[in-house]
Amino acid sequence: MRGHATPAGWVGRPLKRLEDPRFLRGRATYIDDLTFPGMLHVAMLRSPHAHARVVRLDASAAAALPGVAAALTGEDVARVMPPLSPLIPIPNPPRTYPLAVGRVRYVGEPIAAVAACDRATAEDAVELIRAEYEPLPAVVDPERALAPDAPVLFDEMGSNVLWHDTLTYGDVDGAFTAARTVVRERFTIHRYVSTALETFGVIAHVEPGTGLVTIWSNDQRPGLTSGVVAAALGVPQNRLRLLALDIGGGFGNKRKAPYLIVAALLARATGRPVKYVEDRRENLVALAHAANGVMEAALALDGDGRFLAIALRDVVDEGCNLQNPTLHSLLKLGNIVNCYRIGAVRFEAYSVLTNKCPSGANRGIGKPAMCFAIERLVDLAARRLGRDPAELRFANLVQPSEFPYETPVGASYDSGDFPGTLRRALALADYEGLRAAQAAARREGRLVGIGIAVAVEPSSSNLSSYMLATGKGGTSGVGEAALVRVELDGSVRVATGNVASGQGYPTVIAQIVADELGVTPPDVAVSPWFDSHENPWMFSSGNFSNKFSGTDAGAIVGAARAVREKILAIAAHVLEAAPGDLELRDGAVGVRGVPGRFVTLAQVAGVAYRDLLALPPGAAGGLEARYYYVNPAATRPDGARRVGVQLTFSNSAHVTALEVDRATGAVRFLTYAIAHDCGREINPLLVEGMVHGSTAHGIGATLLEEFVYDGEGQLLTTTFMDYLKPTALDVPAFRVEALETPSPRTALGAKGVGEGGAIPSLAAIANAVEDALAPLGVTIRHLPLTPARIWEAIRGA
Amino acid sequence: MDEITGVPAATRHAISVIVNGAPRAATVDARLSLLDCLREAWGLTGTHAGCEHGACGACTVLLDDAPVRSCLLLAVQADGARVTTIEGLAAGDELHPVQQGFWACHGLQCGFCTPGMVLTAVDLLARVRDPSEAEIREALAGNLCMCTGYENIVRAVRWAAARVAWART
Repeated sequence: MRGHATPAGWVGRPLKRLEDPRFLRGRATYIDDLTFPGMLHVAMLRSPHAHARVVRLDASAAAALPGVAAALTGEDVARVMPPLSPLIPIPNPPRTYPLAVGRVRYVGEPIAAVAACDRATAEDAVELIRAEYEPLPAVVDPERALAPDAPVLFDEMGSNVLWHDTLTYGDVDGAFTAARTVVRERFTIHRYVSTALETFGVIAHVEPGTGLVTIWSNDQRPGLTSGVVAAALGVPQNRLRLLALDIGGGFGNKRKAPYLIVAALLARATGRPVKYVEDRRENLVALAHAANGVMEAALALDGDGRFLAIALRDVVDEGCNLQNPTLHSLLKLGNIVNCYRIGAVRFEAYSVLTNKCPSGANRGIGKPAMCFAIERLVDLAARRLGRDPAELRFANLVQPSEFPYETPVGASYDSGDFPGTLRRALALADYEGLRAAQAAARREGRLVGIGIAVAVEPSSSNLSSYMLATGKGGTSGVGEAALVRVELDGSVRVATGNVASGQGYPTVIAQIVADELGVTPPDVAVSPWFDSHENPWMFSSGNFSNKFSGTDAGAIVGAARAVREKILAIAAHVLEAAPGDLELRDGAVGVRGVPGRFVTLAQVAGVAYRDLLALPPGAAGGLEARYYYVNPAATRPDGARRVGVQLTFSNSAHVTALEVDRATGAVRFLTYAIAHDCGREINPLLVEGMVHGSTAHGIGATLLEEFVYDGEGQLLTTTFMDYLKPTALDVPAFRVEALETPSPRTALGAKGVGEGGAIPSLAAIANAVEDALAPLGVTIRHLPLTPARIWEAIRGA
Repeated sequence: MDEITGVPAATRHAISVIVNGAPRAATVDARLSLLDCLREAWGLTGTHAGCEHGACGACTVLLDDAPVRSCLLLAVQADGARVTTIEGLAAGDELHPVQQGFWACHGLQCGFCTPGMVLTAVDLLARVRDPSEAEIREALAGNLCMCTGYENIVRAVRWAAARVAWART
């Protein structure tokens, strides 16, 4: 790895993780590892139909089975809680509940839940529930769902359209009229999901005396989930304690407030702790899928090959998602012009209901599809114009001198060196050498292709952007909260509103705080778990949109610096020195240049907590601070509906070469090079790990993974035997190089990296496959590029 | 009928297993998996349920030194056998070389696949002294990791292989 300056402090060092030993020894605590005396276990009855009326539902035999403590149906739930509120204002909003009431709208939708002494007994009981259905016509295809005669999921809505809007920025029509070349294509985006290896789970307990509801879960958005669950249960948030333990991967989809509500209702009904953990089939069928859709995209170019405008008609298939739709639409505004100077944008967005699993956040949310569409168009344009795809990209990239660069839709690119990143990736892959090797391979009749994709990797979602779809305020900006406390013995403790699911937060937070307080990372204990009654948090607290660098780092630095000020004030008083003459180093505060004149952090803490009369006159005791950081770059949409959907912009270039087996359609990677720039890297070891992992997600999505529904809405890929994840044999060794262009908009100059390679990899691989098949004249319009699909394309050519 | 479990008592069986060197006993339902027995009867929660259909490898343990999917094995099938789980790998405070390799090479992120990965790698290194990258990838291909993209896991196993080879000389 190159490009890293030698760090003066702990930030910037490739420190191995402080938290690893307990994971390596099998001593982590995931939700399913937690048990309580008398705990009940939940199994759910789920719809076998994509769309049906429930004409009979009788759980009495289940409730009567020995070992069963309670059985709840949708109607039971509807009697004790208000309907869930949709995010999008809908006229005549449907009344929906965590368990379906009267009608089921996707295969796997839960309609009843049983709590029993163990999971096996609960499963036995579910089989005793008598459910009779009257099937209804299902709508599976999102464009069919738009038709006036399509079956409608919610009669009260009158249609399946959740949101339809056309956002126009600049003179799009003029650009397309003036264009010398227009490339236009219709891409279909498939359903896939990152499938954290740990499934979703929850334990709920209601304390009978106080009514305090305590919920442990691996929900990755506690700040958002807390309010939803409290409203459903009819308790104030000061009577809901939400905790998260170790989380076995999140990737956006680990959120399911309805399951928390069901578990809590069962706990309330039985007076016992209640655990529900999805099995893998439930996870694949009903947790959340990245939305599929149809993208009709057009790129206008002038006579020199300069990009003038992009127009996109984007139909997003939300499945049966009323709670948080439009994510996959709105986030495309973050990278709709990608790394390019494009002056005009039209975005026609449809967010549509179908009888499929609800859509949900997934690593990149809409941005992988957006990058796929624009990077495919660029390759198609290069082929049309007879230009090298790298050269055409160079001719259109935003230049380093142009930052901050404001895109037509209002995204403000904070920093970067897009040409530099592409140059590095091409060099790393030996682009010239690859082209020569490709020419030689083609002479032998082999199908070798080279694919390039560049990408902005937007991070830190500005929640104000939802106003574009909701038309209402009340939620805006984005932030995170942190607590830094020096304990009485001088040890340091940190807690934040975020939850870790593999990112290494306990280590990087310790690195940040160690620098601020002059200690070493092992001196800093970062709470590995979230507790809404202990950790500071706000609505946007949690793990999403790579926000750590853009918000969490600011909160941690803010809290640490406030504590540092208190330390300096106390130490100055004790040492009878000016605070400006003091420095924090090696766990002590000393007078700069005067060896031996110092007090330890423990001595300072002793004054703050115990020797209170030794405090500076008028000073408050204690040595802790909470900081609620708000990223300063966020704004509300302006009069032209321009808004920075996301606030910081990492970037990368992926260059891959692969060979397609003509006989089988299988793809074999020859090389995979990644140059990326996420600003200042807090821990390069961890950053590179995320670059690998996020790219592997894209490889799986591009080559293997697909949720296949048949015409009746039955999901056909419901196990890891038919929903295929990439193995160690499917993922190549990566060549990775880092550039570091610090962000002026974040506390440490760092930018998001978690979504990273999940954004450009789909496009890079698809471009490479199309390049491999170029002698046959094949155009790639659909993913995934399974051997069967490639083989059919070869045969059809 | 057993009042607590709701399961007919006749389907329950007494088993004894040497787990991580120590004898363990339990009376289990015939349908209880070894995975659930380890986790629920014996509190060894380091072995994880990833898919419960034998496809992901998260639940891998060593049964008489051979890697098995504990989600597909019934607890009664392990009666009389020796089982090694992730909890049994370190020698006191000293991590096993494979565990050290995973730490040094950042071979884990969320950690959920890690116990199965580590035990699979331990088995590989017991069979192959100095495996090539291709042999490592082949050996790990039955274990899914959703976080790392495998590269650092491969590095971790190579790191451990060098240590194990050195220790044997």
